[in-house]
Amino acid sequence: MNKVETSDTPPASLTPKINRKRRASFFINYGLAILTFLILGYLIARAQTRVLDFSAIFDRPDILRNAFITTIRASFTALIFSVIFGLILYFFSISKIRYLRALSDVFTEIIYGTPLLVMIFMMGFIFRASINNIIDMIGITDFIKQFDSSFRGFSGPQMGLAGLTIYITPYMANIFRAAFSSIPEEQYMAMHLFGFTTFQRYRYIIVPQVIRVLMAPLMNNFSLIIKGSALLNIVMMREIYYELFSIQQRTGRSVEAFFVMWLLYLAITLPLSQFTRFIERRWGT
Amino acid sequence: MIVDIKNLTHHYDIDVLHNVSLSLKKYGSIALIGKSGSGKSTLLRILSGMEKATTGSIHVNGYPVSDPVYKKKVGFVFQNHNLFPHLTLERNITLILEKTRGVEKENAKEIAQKHLRLLQLGDQMHKLPKHVSGGQAQRASIARALSLDPDVIFLDEPTASLDPILTDEVLTAVKKLRTLGKDFIFATHVISFVRNFADYVIFMQDGVIVEQGKTTILDNPQTEAFKDYMSKVH
Ligand SMILES: Nc1ncnc2c1ncn2[C@@H]1O[C@H](COP(=O)(O)OP(=O)(O)O)[C@@H](O)[C@H]1O
Ligand SMILES: [Mg+2]
Repeated sequence: MNKVETSDTPPASLTPKINRKRRASFFINYGLAILTFLILGYLIARAQTRVLDFSAIFDRPDILRNAFITTIRASFTALIFSVIFGLILYFFSISKIRYLRALSDVFTEIIYGTPLLVMIFMMGFIFRASINNIIDMIGITDFIKQFDSSFRGFSGPQMGLAGLTIYITPYMANIFRAAFSSIPEEQYMAMHLFGFTTFQRYRYIIVPQVIRVLMAPLMNNFSLIIKGSALLNIVMMREIYYELFSIQQRTGRSVEAFFVMWLLYLAITLPLSQFTRFIERRWGT
Repeated sequence: MIVDIKNLTHHYDIDVLHNVSLSLKKYGSIALIGKSGSGKSTLLRILSGMEKATTGSIHVNGYPVSDPVYKKKVGFVFQNHNLFPHLTLERNITLILEKTRGVEKENAKEIAQKHLRLLQLGDQMHKLPKHVSGGQAQRASIARALSLDPDVIFLDEPTASLDPILTDEVLTAVKKLRTLGKDFIFATHVISFVRNFADYVIFMQDGVIVEQGKTTILDNPQTEAFKDYMSKVH
């Protein structure tokens, strides 16, 4: 029988050499690119008329640390809940019940048409009062007071975070849609033919494939959340933007404050995007 | 193999199979031929128990095709191999054996490797489907069907997505399977393969069986439709 080599894989003996060469060129070019931006940053800093002084910014490292942690914690909270709500929204959108499909469509359109800033503002200042009135009226406030006696209704930051979560939800639903539809009809037929149970189908065939397709866009959305969380300053969440903005108002060191703010965001988003690349390389199809 | 179809009708939006009846008792290799869209795939899916017919009674080897016992005696080779893309060729087989046939891990490995070797894939079995050629993947999919020790193997245009060399490679592999004593029902456009592999031929058009008989009917088409088809596939 004829053996036909696949044309897209080079002979084994050649590959290591090519890889080494490619890797070297990769590091050189990326190194140069990063250097370019560092020089650019340096020139911009040098062109400032004032002498830069970061001491006032790092005066209270505990504030910076707390702000950093608050941003990360808020982002993770929004990530987890938007994944859950996104999955629910996805199931609505493929439901046999037309009303649920319509509901998910209308909701998605509203969110797509809304700026995040407006969403957070509405949640933090407009809906907050209504929702707190409603939960007070129907007895939920009293119920929560049993566990947390200081509870007076949802706070601005809580409502703002809910706004961010809701805002990201349709984007999460989208990546679920893309992921699940990446499994072709024929595979479902095969699963049926071989007699896998529903649990086995998800456990061994669907989820392992979907996870691969899901991870990279999920991390992209996470990055959106982190950047979006800066807007939570308008509902007084003491995250990175809020604290550094206050510092620059207090100290007048605006260049330094924004510079540090920027670096703190990059300190979260850059490792994340590298992690996303890694996953794509590792699991990509 | 015994195939018994009575008044099978199937529709999606339109009628795809229309009042098909068939009664065959002594053939081991049945070929379905006909233009694209004539209903071959649908008939194969229904005969293999993968899809439920809208109406009609369908039995193979005495089993109603909806019988779970029958489903475990069926192998199916899809047009585009349809291996699970995240699993190696070997794992594509052992997963099914372990999870749905209750075969022990070690034993499942042995069965998988035996059949992959039979299809000349001994050195490929730890690769993912995307890392082997189309012909190799298709042969792996045949190995997968065989590993389940089916009585009947269905092949739905197993070479339609392959170039002529790979087609030859796969069909050579399939021919060898005749010696294993399995029964086959397959759809294909490769008439030379039908000639020396099938012992019964069914020509379909627009969801009905237009002509059927021993392989010699290929040389003596009666209807315009069959004549037309034969003139086009050559
Ligand atoms: N899942 C499906 N949903 C709707 N229509 C289908 C489906 N599968 C096949 N058909 C239609 O049924 C007809 C027969 O298709 P098929 O059985 O695939 O024919 P063949 O295999 O001979 O090309 C075609 O008109 C096709 O469009
Ligand atoms: Mg077909």
